[in-house]
Amino acid sequence: MKNGPGSPEKIPANRLAEFILDAGVFLMSSGAHSGRVWRNCERMAARWNYHINISPTFTGILLSVWDKNNPDNAVTRYKASPPSSVHLEVLTRISHLSWKIAYGEISFNESVNELAEIRKKKHYSHWVIAGAVGFACGLLCILAGGDAPNAAVAFTAASTGYIIRFQILLKGFNNFLSLIVAAFVTSLIAGADTVLGLGKAPEMTLSTAVLYLVPGVPLVNSVIDLLEGYFPASLSRSLFAASVLLCIAVGMTLSILLLGISNF
Amino acid sequence: MELFTGALFDFGISLVVAMCWGILFGTPSRALFAAGLLGGIGHSLRFLLLTAGLGLIASTMVASVTIGLLGIFSAHRIHHPPVVITLPASITMIPGLYAYRSMLGGIKLTNLENLDAHPGLLTGIAHNVMLTFSLLFTLAIGISISALLFRNKSVKEIRFNKSSILKNKAT
Repeated sequence: MKNGPGSPEKIPANRLAEFILDAGVFLMSSGAHSGRVWRNCERMAARWNYHINISPTFTGILLSVWDKNNPDNAVTRYKASPPSSVHLEVLTRISHLSWKIAYGEISFNESVNELAEIRKKKHYSHWVIAGAVGFACGLLCILAGGDAPNAAVAFTAASTGYIIRFQILLKGFNNFLSLIVAAFVTSLIAGADTVLGLGKAPEMTLSTAVLYLVPGVPLVNSVIDLLEGYFPASLSRSLFAASVLLCIAVGMTLSILLLGISNF
Repeated sequence: MELFTGALFDFGISLVVAMCWGILFGTPSRALFAAGLLGGIGHSLRFLLLTAGLGLIASTMVASVTIGLLGIFSAHRIHHPPVVITLPASITMIPGLYAYRSMLGGIKLTNLENLDAHPGLLTGIAHNVMLTFSLLFTLAIGISISALLFRNKSVKEIRFNKSSILKNKAT
């Protein structure tokens, strides 16, 4: 790792570890795989002449930093991750921040402030996401062989389910509970065209409408971590993804049993 | 001709789908179209390969690796990490239908009479579960293709031609 212009400031190990951990767990909960977390953290620490070693898991990060010139200036700290909420813009922002640090364009205090700025960055509005989710599921229904009525039902089911889920989350209920309720509502609405015999492929409505709940990012990340050798992170991610899938299954089972299993 | 319109239809729809997933995952608005484009290219490529008779897993593999490689290229263009665009693009091919079928099979399995009436239920579940996991693996391989193929760990350090080297030196 090459250093940018100017000699880097002297930062105490404790402050550096805190900054790196803040960035690391934030990346982790926003949907970065462990390899990316490691690279970003290493790049930032190298600017201030520190070696790092990380044990990343999905639920938290254990980090050691030690001064390249003064091994006694070292610290090991742990920080738990906030609840997972995928937000890919954070990955871009922190990546840019880490390059700015590596090229020496930004001081330590400015970096801390910029990280706080990134933290304030808003996600898309929930209503926009609800629409997008509906469109995605409706169009996937068409791709899977459904026709316009099927797609319309899938759109309604997915959007309604998403709106209900975020209302539940806003009230502070458990994430898994919100998933069960969302899966239940979505599949109840999506089952309508199977029961009423609408469209040419009603089976597809039910299978595509719940796709917005599928934990695609943790699932893919768990396989990437597996390929790159971060086994604890991979294991905890796949456990998380599996419990999300289980919640979807519970919600769908409830509504399928309610609508009559023989219909499916 | 029919094949062409079919692929175009597939491209258009999966372009919008990938952009919608991008919104759900919080992809920056400037990168949304790139994500859509990659999703459209990947999904329609898979459609063409499937029509040509290549198996489902092989076609998904080719499509997701294509998305991964194009993602590295476009990451340089739009100055975003590739995962921001390749993740929503690949999620268009997430094996939701097979996951759904294995789950529905699981629900049916809780009833013994059902199992007696349909002896194929268990093999059906096994088939769908294996398909789900294989497809998931191919997607992950596609997204992490840069880490697997190139020795440079960061995509920013992968160089395509002289001009990009000069540009990188300048910054």
